[in-house]
Amino acid sequence: MCPPANGENAKEEEEAMTTTQAESFKTRYETLRGEIEKVIVGCRDVTDELLTCLFSGGNALIESPPGLGKTLIVKTLADALDLQFSRIQFTPDLMPADIVGTNIIMQDEMGKRYFQFQRGPVFTNILLADEINRATPKTQSALLEAMQEHSVTVGGVRHELQEPFLVIATENNLETEGTYSLPEAQLDRFFFNCRLRFPDLKDLREISRRTTATGSMSVSKTLTREAVEAMKHEARSVDVSPAVRRYASRLVLATHPNREGTTDRVKQFVRYGSSPRGVQALIIGGKVRALLAGRRSVLAEDIRYVSKPALRHRLIMNFEGEAENVDPDRIISEVVANVEAPKG
Amino acid sequence: MSEKTSKPANANVDARLAEFRATFGRMSDEVSKVIVGYRDIIDNVLTALLTRGNVLLEGVPGIGKTMLVRTLGEVLELQFRRVQFTADLMPGDIVGTNMIAQDETGRRTFRFERGPVFTNLLLADEINRATPKTQSALLEAMEEHSVTVAGTRYVLEEPFFVLATQNPLEMEGTYPLPQAELDKFIFKLDVGFPALEDLDEIIVRTTFEAMPKVNRVATGADILRLRALVREVPVSPHVEDYAARVVLATHPETEHATEMVKRYVKGGASPRGLQGLILAGKVRALLDGRYSVSCEDINAMAHPTLRHRIQRNLEAEAEEISRDAIVSDILTKTPQTAEAV
Repeated sequence: MCPPANGENAKEEEEAMTTTQAESFKTRYETLRGEIEKVIVGCRDVTDELLTCLFSGGNALIESPPGLGKTLIVKTLADALDLQFSRIQFTPDLMPADIVGTNIIMQDEMGKRYFQFQRGPVFTNILLADEINRATPKTQSALLEAMQEHSVTVGGVRHELQEPFLVIATENNLETEGTYSLPEAQLDRFFFNCRLRFPDLKDLREISRRTTATGSMSVSKTLTREAVEAMKHEARSVDVSPAVRRYASRLVLATHPNREGTTDRVKQFVRYGSSPRGVQALIIGGKVRALLAGRRSVLAEDIRYVSKPALRHRLIMNFEGEAENVDPDRIISEVVANVEAPKG
Repeated sequence: MSEKTSKPANANVDARLAEFRATFGRMSDEVSKVIVGYRDIIDNVLTALLTRGNVLLEGVPGIGKTMLVRTLGEVLELQFRRVQFTADLMPGDIVGTNMIAQDETGRRTFRFERGPVFTNLLLADEINRATPKTQSALLEAMEEHSVTVAGTRYVLEEPFFVLATQNPLEMEGTYPLPQAELDKFIFKLDVGFPALEDLDEIIVRTTFEAMPKVNRVATGADILRLRALVREVPVSPHVEDYAARVVLATHPETEHATEMVKRYVKGGASPRGLQGLILAGKVRALLDGRYSVSCEDINAMAHPTLRHRIQRNLEAEAEEISRDAIVSDILTKTPQTAEAV
């Protein structure tokens, strides 16, 4: 490389540098994903969505029937990162203290009694909240508070959680008996809603080959805590042009039945459209997507790419939509097709 | 990779195969000295033990479930513990708790008091009587072979095997296991009531002199070695394909589903069901003296492996269509060779 002679060259160099940065984000991301895929068969889309959540600083909700490897995918993610991992199985009798921790009475040498805080499993980097809809609302909200604030308060004392803090909650959408579905306001707190599908014949055979024979895949740690934080920072600094910003906002507005740009299907089946959090998820998720495409600015296609995981849990169906079991993904596809994208 | 592992020294394989069959036979015979009848149940429990799986046994009280696991412990000279699940059992009663201890200087510290889960063979009696949080504490240990208490992880000693029992009757005060937890058992075995001649034999064996004595015929180390051999058995692509199609056939929304599944099933088996089928098929192949799994092996293990993973819909429950009937239907309708791959 030759040294810059004038202003024009400096600009070029800056561009070259940011491209390299995007490249290295992409390389590190792909190394991490490659490590995860040593263990996980198929479901590339969910892996990408979870990693996008990690680098966007958002939390994920996975919808899946039992036994599709939710725990494995999250545990492998934690193994491939130099981060702490814990798992909580949510049950109807789980109490808030089982998540955040409790104060217990201790005695020092002088015989004086004092409280000592016993940290709950929420004190970790990656937390798998398995079957979150089986716990009672009070317990669910204890976790959701930690998710939002990245801190917990017990006995009047606030305890900070270490960054990165990523909650991956799972919901079993098949069994509904004895479950407390998350209220819309709490669903909205999840950055992405991922759908894990049942593997096809080819993937099933690969799963059986990998898990019932000798030898197990070991995953090596690819990124430290600091590296993850740096990549989060990098993702935030990606540019979004005013046109793309407006495009994202228009998409969100079009999910509301009484706004312009909406579609017939939205009018027929949707009661409330996505909240402003949806637009944040579109933009930040789009930023990660742009870096993966080797770009330093977000395009409309990046927004479209993340529209389903970012919006599907934020559409609230009306009575007719519920009754006909309308798939929010179809509505989102229609909205995306209907809203005009900026050029370039 | 698979090329290398599937061809160990040939003479060696024959010897190991013979050892596998002999050890399995000895264990099965020895347990049968105490347990009357139920040979299929005993063999399936041993099969699960050799796949590193756990078993859920459903049957009425008093048919010798505890005796079965205790005898297994004696035959293998492994530690055995039993936990009676009750509505007020707490997770700490299973995994253990941190106790406050005082050292010489009067300083208080925590000491971990290990719960009954720290054993080799664990009988979880009437698991559906405990509350869900307590159930899930055990199921985590089953899945991970470790427990976490107050942030510290304790690894359990291998082999670790759980035999859980549940009452079949819809009784008051029970908490049925949710699907996600049922899925963690490789087999669900239904234990029927003993036949007349077996009852007679039970009277002979248990109401006279001392109970029959069993000898130690294998060790924990043997179990670990046999488990390793099970994993080495190769599975040919067409058997693998067949097993995967059987699992897919339990899902009403797939092209592989039978008419009966489409009509009566709400949710089908998970990939764990497939893993269970293959591993159990491997044990059966070895017992038959073969070093490869056949479709017959898959069929033979399909009922205990799949029955608890099939969720029936309301119509099936109303018409009392059994899960076993659905599995049988799948086995007869699924072709053993794929039409086109």
